[in-house]
Amino acid sequence: MASAPIEFPPPVDSAEEFIAAPTDPEDERIEVGVVIVGGGPGGLACAIRLMQLLAEDEALMESLGEVPVALVEKGKGPGSHLLSGAMMNPSAMHALFPDLDESEWPTYGPVDKDTVYLLPNGKRSVPLHPIPPPFKNHGNHVTSVARLGRWLSEQAEEAGVYILGETTGYRVLVDDGQVVGIRSGDKGRGRDGQELSNFEPGSDLIAKATVLAEGTAGHLTGAAIRHFGIGSEDPQQWELGVKEIWEVQKPLDRVIHTMGWPLKFAPKYREFGGSFIYPMGEDRVSMGLVVGLDYRDARFSVHDAFQELKTHPMVAGIIEGGKRVGWGAKTIPSGGYWAQPRQLWAPGMALVGDGAGMVNVPTLKGVHYAMHAGMFAAEAIVERLKNGSGEGVADLSNYQSKVEASDIDKDRYKTRNARQPFAKGFFVGGALASMMTISGGRVPGGHWATHDDATVPLFIGPEREYPKPDGKVTFDKLSSVFATGNATRDDAPNHIRIQDKVPLEVALMWQNMCPAQVYEVPDEELEAARADGNGKLDGKREVKLNITPSNCVQCGAITAKGGRLTPPEGGDGPNYQVT
Amino acid sequence: MSILVYALHYEGEFNKNSLGAVSQGAKLAKEIGGEAAAVVVGGDDLTDDLCSTLGQYGVSKVYRVKGPEGLAQPVVDAMAKIIQDDGYKYALFGGGLLGFEIGAGLTARLHAGVTMEVTAVRAQDGKLVAERPILQDSAIVDVGYVGEPGIIIGRLNAFDIQEGGDGSAEVQDVDVSFEDHSTKAVMVERGEQRGADVNIEDADILVAGGRGLGKAEGFELCEQLADALGGAVAATRAVVDAGWYPYAAQIGQTGKTVAPKLYLAAGISGAIQHKVGMQNSENIVAINKDPNAPIFEFSDLGIVGDLNKILPKLTDAVKAKKGG
Repeated sequence: MASAPIEFPPPVDSAEEFIAAPTDPEDERIEVGVVIVGGGPGGLACAIRLMQLLAEDEALMESLGEVPVALVEKGKGPGSHLLSGAMMNPSAMHALFPDLDESEWPTYGPVDKDTVYLLPNGKRSVPLHPIPPPFKNHGNHVTSVARLGRWLSEQAEEAGVYILGETTGYRVLVDDGQVVGIRSGDKGRGRDGQELSNFEPGSDLIAKATVLAEGTAGHLTGAAIRHFGIGSEDPQQWELGVKEIWEVQKPLDRVIHTMGWPLKFAPKYREFGGSFIYPMGEDRVSMGLVVGLDYRDARFSVHDAFQELKTHPMVAGIIEGGKRVGWGAKTIPSGGYWAQPRQLWAPGMALVGDGAGMVNVPTLKGVHYAMHAGMFAAEAIVERLKNGSGEGVADLSNYQSKVEASDIDKDRYKTRNARQPFAKGFFVGGALASMMTISGGRVPGGHWATHDDATVPLFIGPEREYPKPDGKVTFDKLSSVFATGNATRDDAPNHIRIQDKVPLEVALMWQNMCPAQVYEVPDEELEAARADGNGKLDGKREVKLNITPSNCVQCGAITAKGGRLTPPEGGDGPNYQVT
Repeated sequence: MSILVYALHYEGEFNKNSLGAVSQGAKLAKEIGGEAAAVVVGGDDLTDDLCSTLGQYGVSKVYRVKGPEGLAQPVVDAMAKIIQDDGYKYALFGGGLLGFEIGAGLTARLHAGVTMEVTAVRAQDGKLVAERPILQDSAIVDVGYVGEPGIIIGRLNAFDIQEGGDGSAEVQDVDVSFEDHSTKAVMVERGEQRGADVNIEDADILVAGGRGLGKAEGFELCEQLADALGGAVAATRAVVDAGWYPYAAQIGQTGKTVAPKLYLAAGISGAIQHKVGMQNSENIVAINKDPNAPIFEFSDLGIVGDLNKILPKLTDAVKAKKGG
C-alpha cells in the first residue's frame, strides 16, 4: 500500500498551541481598536475602508483610542510576501477608490487580446478557438500584487492605519469564547528556541475586533477554523504556483494561458495545471506554472517543470534575449465554494481573502474578492461598533451576509464544481470548463466533494529529466531563492512542523515539491533505499530528512501536503518586489 | 588634509582589514592631491612605535586618542572632533561590524553622506567615487558626495594592503572629551563569536569544506591541509547546518565574506549563497566529484575527482615541498 503524507501528521495541535488567553500583565498589553493580520490586498482594503468609515464618525474614532486600526505584516517590507499571477478584476479598486482614475492605479493596465494554447508536447502549440470563457480577461488589469501591496500600504498609512512591519501574528487571543486580539511572535530565538542576546518577546495586541487576512494557508486562520469548528466538511485543497518576472526584448501584446506539456495528465500522474504569461508593460513579462497539489509522483517538481516549460519554442520565443529579474512561489487555495469555511466569522473575528479560500478557481481570480471581503469586514465591524456598548464586537454574522449577497459567493457558486469532478484546477480541459461557465453553473450540478491533498497516495516514478539549469533560461532552486532577496539567519528555530523520519516516497515528494530546497533526502539514504530495492528505490524505507528552514519562501505547500507551516520570525523569508 | 581612516588594533597589532583601508586611503589621497591620516583609539599599548608603523602603509599622520578600546561611540566622538578641527573631506572604514557602527554613528553625528558595503573607491576630478554592489551584487552603482564629509565604509577585506610609505608617520595626541552616552558601554569580554579559534576573515589561505566531505570527520582532511598550508578552515551553510563545523567558519550570504589569496573549495557545489561570500578570492581552486557543479564556473582551477584521495595527497605534497 502506497504511503500518503496524511499518515505522518505534523507534531503540532494548532488549535491548542496557537489559540490561548492573553498572557501579558494587563498594563503591558497593547490596546488598539481593530487589529488586522496580514498586509495583502484583503487586509489593507479592510484597513483603508475602516479609516474611511471612521473618518465619517469622529466620536467612534475617538472611542477606539490612540490606534484605531493596527495591521501586522510579517514580511520585511510592504508587499514582501505577496505573489500572484495576476490579472485583477477591477471592481474592488473602483469600490475602494471611487474617485481615482484607473490610470493612477499601480497596475500594468488591461490587455485586449487573449490566447490559450494546448501544448501537446515540448515542440508544438495549438491555439484554442474559441477562447474558453474562463480565460477571457477583457477589462482586467495585469497586476504585480507585491507592487499593489506596497501602494495600498502607503494609502493605508496616509489614512492613519498603524502598520507594524516585520511582525507575525503568532497566536489568536481568546477569552471566554471571544476573540480579543492576537499575540505577535517572538524575535531573537536560537535554533533550539533559546533566547539570544537580541531576544524580544511578542506582545498581546488587544482589539475590539480582529480580522485575519493572512492569505493562503494562513497560520492563525487554520488554527481558528479548527478551534471554533467553523470549517467546511469539504477539506481545502491547494495548487502550487511558481512564477518568474522576465525583462524581455520585444513587448508581449496578449495574455497567454497554456495547458498540457510538460504536465502528465494520465490518471497515474494526475498533474493538473497550466501556465500563464502576462505582459507587464512594454519590457516585462510575468509568467508561471500552477499545478494542483493532488499529484501523485514523488519525483514531480513544479519549479523544475516550469523551468522545462521555458524551453518550449512558444515560450522560449517570448523570453529570448531576456533576463530573469524575479522569482517566487505561492500556493493558491483551490477548493472553491464547497471548501470555504462554513462560517466566515467567530465571536470578535472575521476571516478574509485567500485564507478563507476566496478564489474563483477556473477564472484564476481572487485579488478582488479578498479586497471586497476586507471592505465588507470593515463595514460589518463599524456597524457593530456603532450599535455596541463600547465593548468588543461579538456577532459578525452581518459580515457573512454581506459576502453571501455579493459576487464573492455568487460567482463562485457558479463554478463550485469546477475543480473536483473533471476540470481539475485552474487550467482545465477547455470545453469541459466552458460548459460550466456557459451553463451558469447548472452543469454539472449538485455537490461534488473535495479531497485533502495530503490523502493522495504517492509513488516514485521514473527519474525525471528536467533540463540542467544553465543560469540563463533555466535556474536551480537555490539561485531562485537567492533572487527573492531571502537572507534569513540560519540559527533561527525551525518554523516548519514536520516529521523528519518518513518513508522515502513521502520524503522525496517533499524534496521535489518544495520550490525553495528546504527538504533534502541525503545521498546515503537514497543509496540505502536503492540497495533495499535491489537497484530500484524502495519507497517504503524510512529515511531521515535534512531540513533547511532558512531557505523557506513560505509558499504554504507543506501545509497542504502533510506538514504545518508556522510563521518564522518577523522579517524573515522572501523580499518580493515585482511578483 | 583630505582623508581620515580609522585603524583598529588589538593586542599590539593592527587589524588586517584596517591596514587595507589605511593603504587605500593613502593611495586615494595622493590621487586627489591631499594627504591621509589615521586615527587610533585605545590605551597604553598604543605606543609611538606601533602608531608610527602606519606610515608604512602611506599615511603621514596618526591621531592617537586615549579612550576605551573596541567600542564604537568613543571613536565617533574622536573622529567627529578631528574632522571638524582639521577639516577632513572623507572618512574611510575597512568594514566589519565595528567599522559599520562607527561609520553610521559618525554619519548621523555630522549629518554626512554615507555609502556602505563599498567594494572599490576611485578618484575622479579630485573627488572620491565609491562603488557599491546592489541588487544582490548583480549591479554596481557609483556614489559621489555632494557635501562634506563623505563617509565610505568598505565591505570586509575590500581593500588590499599595500606597503609603500616611508614607515614614519607623525604621531599626534588628541584630547577628546567623550559624550556622556559614549562612556556608558564598557567592554566586558572580548571573544570570537560562537567559539571559533581562527579568524578566517584574516587568513590568506582558506580550505573550505562542503557537503561533499560526506561526514563531519571529513573536515579532518581539510584541517590537515590547512595546517600544512598555514591557512584556516572554512565551511558552507549546509555543513554548518548539519552540525559538522561551527557557525563562525561559515562563508556566504548568511555567514562571513572572505577574500583570501587562495580559496580551496573541497566538496562545495558553489550555490550562489556561498559564492557571494568568497567570489572575491584571488585564486579559487575547486575539488568536486560532480563535473557539473556550478563552482567550476568561477574557479581558477577545477579538479574533478574524489577529495578523500586528493586532499591527503595534496597535504603530503605540500608538506614535502615545505620540508624540502
